[in-house]
Amino acid sequence: MTRKQRRMTIIGGSLAVLALAAALVLNALRDSIVFFSTPTMVAEKHIAPGKRFRLGGLVQPGSLQRGDNLAVTFEVADGSAKLPVAYKGILPDLFREGQGVVAEGALDASGVFKADTVLAKHDETYMPKDVADALKKQGHWKDDYGAKGNATPAATTAQGNPQGAVR
Amino acid sequence: MIAESGHYALVLALALALIQSFVPLIGAWLRDPALMNVARSTALAQMLFVGASFVALVALHVTSDFSVANVYENSHSMKPLIYKITGVWGNHEGSMLLWVSILALFGGLVAAFGNNLPLSLRAHVLAVQAWVASAFYLFILITSNPFLRIANPPIEGRDLNPVLQDIGLAVHPPMLYLGYVGFSISFSFAIAALIEGRIDAAWARWVRPWTLVAWIFLTLGIAMGSYWAYYELGWGGWWFWDPVENASLMPWLAGTALLHSALVMEKRNALKVWTILLSILTFSLSLLGTFLVRSGVLTSVHAFASDPTRGVFILLILCVFIGGSLSLYAARVSSLKQGGLFAPISREGALVLNNLFLTTACATVLVGTLYPLGLEVLTGEKISVGAPFFNLTFGPLFVPLLIAVPFGPMLAWKRGDLLGAAQRLLAAGIVALLALALVWAWAHGGSALAPPAIALAVFVILGSVTDLVERVGLFRAPFGTAMRRARGLPRSVWGTAFAHAGLGIALIGIVCETTWNSEYIGTMKPDDVAHVAGYELKLDGLFQRQGPNFREMIARFEVGRDGESLSVMTPSKRSFTTRGSSTTEAALLTRGASQLYISLGDVTNEGAIAVRIYHKPLVLLIWWGPVLMAFGGLLSLSDRRLRVGAPKPARAQPRLQPAE
Amino acid sequence: MTLWFVFALMTVAAIFAVLWPLGRAGRAQGQDTENQGSEVAVYKDQLAEIERDLAAGLIAAPEAEAARIEIGRRLLAAADSQPALDGRASLKWRRAAAVLALVGLPLVAILVYVPLGSPRLHDFPLAQRDRAPGMQQSLENMVVQVEQHLEKNPTDGRGWNVLAPVLERLGRYDDAVRAYRNSLTYNGESAERRSDLGEALLAAAGGVVTADAKAEFERAHALDAQEPKANYFLGLAAEQDGRKDDAAAIWRGVLAKAPPDAPWRALVQSSLARVGGGSAAPALSDDTIAAAKDMSEGDRGAMIRGMVDRLANRLKQNGDDVDGWLRLVRAYVVMGERDKARGALSDAREAVANDAERLRQLNEGLKNLGLDG
Repeated sequence: MTRKQRRMTIIGGSLAVLALAAALVLNALRDSIVFFSTPTMVAEKHIAPGKRFRLGGLVQPGSLQRGDNLAVTFEVADGSAKLPVAYKGILPDLFREGQGVVAEGALDASGVFKADTVLAKHDETYMPKDVADALKKQGHWKDDYGAKGNATPAATTAQGNPQGAVR
Repeated sequence: MIAESGHYALVLALALALIQSFVPLIGAWLRDPALMNVARSTALAQMLFVGASFVALVALHVTSDFSVANVYENSHSMKPLIYKITGVWGNHEGSMLLWVSILALFGGLVAAFGNNLPLSLRAHVLAVQAWVASAFYLFILITSNPFLRIANPPIEGRDLNPVLQDIGLAVHPPMLYLGYVGFSISFSFAIAALIEGRIDAAWARWVRPWTLVAWIFLTLGIAMGSYWAYYELGWGGWWFWDPVENASLMPWLAGTALLHSALVMEKRNALKVWTILLSILTFSLSLLGTFLVRSGVLTSVHAFASDPTRGVFILLILCVFIGGSLSLYAARVSSLKQGGLFAPISREGALVLNNLFLTTACATVLVGTLYPLGLEVLTGEKISVGAPFFNLTFGPLFVPLLIAVPFGPMLAWKRGDLLGAAQRLLAAGIVALLALALVWAWAHGGSALAPPAIALAVFVILGSVTDLVERVGLFRAPFGTAMRRARGLPRSVWGTAFAHAGLGIALIGIVCETTWNSEYIGTMKPDDVAHVAGYELKLDGLFQRQGPNFREMIARFEVGRDGESLSVMTPSKRSFTTRGSSTTEAALLTRGASQLYISLGDVTNEGAIAVRIYHKPLVLLIWWGPVLMAFGGLLSLSDRRLRVGAPKPARAQPRLQPAE
Repeated sequence: MTLWFVFALMTVAAIFAVLWPLGRAGRAQGQDTENQGSEVAVYKDQLAEIERDLAAGLIAAPEAEAARIEIGRRLLAAADSQPALDGRASLKWRRAAAVLALVGLPLVAILVYVPLGSPRLHDFPLAQRDRAPGMQQSLENMVVQVEQHLEKNPTDGRGWNVLAPVLERLGRYDDAVRAYRNSLTYNGESAERRSDLGEALLAAAGGVVTADAKAEFERAHALDAQEPKANYFLGLAAEQDGRKDDAAAIWRGVLAKAPPDAPWRALVQSSLARVGGGSAAPALSDDTIAAAKDMSEGDRGAMIRGMVDRLANRLKQNGDDVDGWLRLVRAYVVMGERDKARGALSDAREAVANDAERLRQLNEGLKNLGLDG
C-alpha cells in the first residue's frame, strides 16, 4: 500500500465510525428523549396517552393518599391546573405535600398520570430546576420559596390578625 | 489573622502566577537559564502559598469562625470534626480553592520532578500552567472569594445538612479534581510544544506519566462517586447519566484516548498532530465540566442568566483557553513534521481504532449533555436526555472497541499479522463462546443481549491473560524460564493487561447487575418473610435508637438461605429532629461479589414498613474493574521507562540492570 | 500589627522565590544545564530498552534492528537540533525581572488585597466567642442557642414549648410546625398544643387551612370541644371550603360559649359578619380589615383590652422586658384603670428587683411617664 492509500484507509474508517455515531445519535434523539411538562401544559397540549414525559409541579397539599401495597396517588399542581398521579413504590425521603416534585411516566386512557419514577431530589430550600422555571414563568414564584413551601398563593397574609387575636 | 493571612497568601499566589506567566517565556526566548528557572521557584512558591491559603480555610472551618462568610454559610458548630473539614470543599468557593490548590500542586510537582525535561520545555510548560492558574485565581478572588468577612459575626452557621455528612461524598471530589486538573499538565505540555514548534517522540515520553497520574485519579474518582451514589441515595442505582457524571466521564474518555495515542507517538513518532489535539481537548473537557458544575447552568438556565457573574467568568476562561489553544494549534499544525509510517493492520492501527471509538463515544456523551441545554436556550423547550439515549449511542460504540481490545497488544508495531493474532486469541474466543452458551442455557429472563455481552467481557479478560501468556511463553517454554521471563516483563505490560482485564470485569458487573437484578418492594410487618433471589429475609422487628443528634428507626432483618441463618442486616431511617429532615441508611450484605441491599420507606398506619430489597448479582465487579484499571495504571507508572530521561550519575551506569 | 508583619514576611518570601534563581544563576549555571534532561537522553534510554527487550526475548532480532535504526535517526536529529544554551546572560532582562519582583509583586498584591480584604477584622473562632463578655444577645442568637440545646437534648419538651411560639413569631413557620410536633411528642397531647400546631401549619401554608391543619384542629376539638381556637379555625376551614353556613354555625357556637371579656370575640364577630353577610368573595384580608374599621366602639375597646391582657400575660412569664412593663403601665393609665396600673408597677419592680441596671431603666421610664412613686 502506498502512503496515500494508507491514509485513505484511515480517513475512510474514521468517517465510517463518525457516520455510525451520527446515525446512532439522531436515532436516539428521536426516540429516547423525554419532554418536560407542567399540568397546565398537559391540559393545553393534549398529550396522547402512552407517550412518556416528565411531569413537574407541586404536590397538592392534602391530595396524597396511600393505598394497599405501596400504591399512592397524589395530585400535581402548578397553580392553574392539577393532574392526578398514580405511583406504586416508595416515595423519596424528600417527598412532601406542598413541595416540588418531578415524576416520569405516561398518561393512561382515563387521564391519570402513571408514574414509574418520582424524583424529589431537593432539600428544603431547593426546587427541582424544571419546576422552578415553570412556576416562575407562570408567575407563581416567590423569592422566599425555600423558606416556606407555599402551594396556593391565593390567600395569604390575612391570617396575621386571627393568629394574634386568638392566642 | 488566619483568615486574612489565607486571603493574602492567595493574592500573593496570583502575583507569583502572573510573573510565572511571562518571565520564563522571555527567558526561553533569550535562552537565559536564570530567567527560565524563575518558573521553577515561582511554581514551588505558588504551591506553598495556595497550600497555606487552603490550610487557612480548613482551619477557619475547624474553629467555626463565623466571621468568614463562607464558614457561616456552609458550616455549623455542631458538625462532627471530619465533616467540618470535608465541608470546606462541599461548597462552591471552597471547591474552587481546592481546584487551584491541586493545579498549583501539579505545577509544583513538575517544577520539583521535572529535572528530566529540557530547560526551555519546562519553562514553557510552567508558564502555560501559570496562565491557567492566574485565570482561576482571578476568578476566585473576584467572584467566589472564600475569605470574605462578616463584620458582625453571627453566633451559629447555617448548614447542617445531614445528607451531605457522608464520608463518600467527602473523599470523591478531591479524587475527581486530581484527575480533572491533572490533565492541565498534558495541556500545558501541548501548548508548550506548539509554542516551541518542536514535537517528537521524547515529548510523548515526558507527558505520559503525568497523563497517567491524572487518569488513575480520575478513574478512582469516578468509581468512588458511583459507589457513593449507589449506597447513599437508596435506590441502588450506580450511574444516572446525570450531566455532572457525564462531565467527569468525558475527560476520562478523552484522557484514555490520549494515553493510547501518546504511546504511538512515543514509540513510533507518529500521530503527533492528533496527540497534541487530544491533549488540548481533554483539558478543555475538564474545563467544560468545571463550567457545567460550577456556573449553575445545570441547576437552571434561568439562574445562570439572573446571576451571571460566575458563569460568564468561567465561560470567558473556557473560551479564551479552548479558543486560544485551538487557534494556536491551527496556526502551528502545518509546521509539524510528519511521523513514522504504519500499515492499517498494526499496533498503531489498533490504537488509532481505539482513539476513534473513544473520541466518538466521548462526542456522543457531549451531545447528550449539551443538547438539552442548547435546546432550552434556543427554543425554551425542556427535555431530558437520560439513560435510554446513552444506551442507544454509547453502548453500540463500545462493542467494536471491546472486540478490538485483545487484538491491540498482540499486533506488532508498523505492520501486524491479524491472522496470527486471531490464532493466538482462538482459545480466548472459544472460551468466550462457551461462556455465551452456558449463560444462555442457565440464565432465565433478562435481555437477549446479556449473554453476548458477558461473552465479550470474558473475551476481553482472557485476551489480556493470553497476551501475558504469549509474552512469557508459558506452555511453550519450560515453566522456570516462563517465570523468569514473567519477572523480566516490563511493568507497563502487566499494567496494560490489568487495565484491559479491569474493563472486562467492570462489564460483567454492569451486565449482571442490570440484567439479573432482582428486587422486592412491598410492606412488611414484623415476622414477615421476603424471598429475594433464593434468600429469605425475615423482619425481626423495628427498634428505636437515639443518636447524637438524630433519632433512628432500625429495622432488623435476619437473612437466611435454605433454612440456614447467614447474617443480620439493619437498614435504618434517621430523622434529624431539629431540622425535621430524614435520611435513609441502606444496609448492604456482601456475598462474594454480589450484594443484598435493603432500604426503608415509610411506616404505614398499620405498623408495617415499606421496604425495598434488591439482590444485585456481581455488582461489586462494577467497581473492582475500575480499581483494577487504576492498579494497572499504577504498575505502568512504576515502570522504569517512564522515569527515564534524567542522566544518572556516572558511577551507577555500568552496573547490570536487575530484572524488574 | 502582627498581621502586617506576617504580610510583610510572606511578601518577602514571594519576592525571594523570584530573585533566588536570578541571583544563583551566575554560580551554578554550568552545573544546571548539564543536569538538565534532553531528548538525547530519552532516545539513548529507548535504545537501552530495546537491548533489554531483545535480551529478554520479548522482541525478535530483525524488529529490534529496525527499531534501533529508527531511534538512531531520531537521536541524530535531536542531537543536531539541540539548542545550545546561551552562556551570555542577558543582564538587562534579569534586572528587569528583579525589579518586577521587587516592585510589581508587592504592588499587585496590595492592589488586589486592599479592596477585597478586611485586615482590621480579627478572627472569631467559636471557642473564643463563648467567653467574650458584653456580647449583644439578639433574639435570633437566643433562638439559635435554644435550638442548639435542643439538638443535643431533643427530648426536652419544655424547651420545644418555649421555642415554638417564638419561631412562629419570627416567621419560621415550618420550624414552628416541627417544634410544636416535638412539643406534642414529649409533652403529651393537649387540645391547646394541637390547635397551636394547626395554626402553625396554617401559617406555613400562607393562611390556608390545609388538610393537615384541619386534622389537627379536629383532634384538638375531640380532646376538648370547648377549645376556642380550634373551633374558630374549624369555622375558617368550613368557610374556605365554601360551606359558609357551617362556618357561621360554628362561630355562633364559639361566641355563645365565649366569656364576655374574651379578647378574640371581636375577631369571631367580624368573621361571622363576613359569612353571615353572605358576601360571595372568599377573600380574607380586605374584609377583615374592613370589618375591623367598622367595628363598634365597644368592640374596638375589647380588641385593645385583649392586646393589653396578652401583654400582661407575657410579662408574667418573662419579666425582663422593661419596655414591655412601661407600655403596660401606660396602657392601663390611658384606659383609666389606675389600680391595675399600680399593680403592674409593683409587679414590674418585683420582676426586675435583682437587676440594678433594669431597675434604673424602669424608674427612669416611670419618671418620663410622670408616674413616679
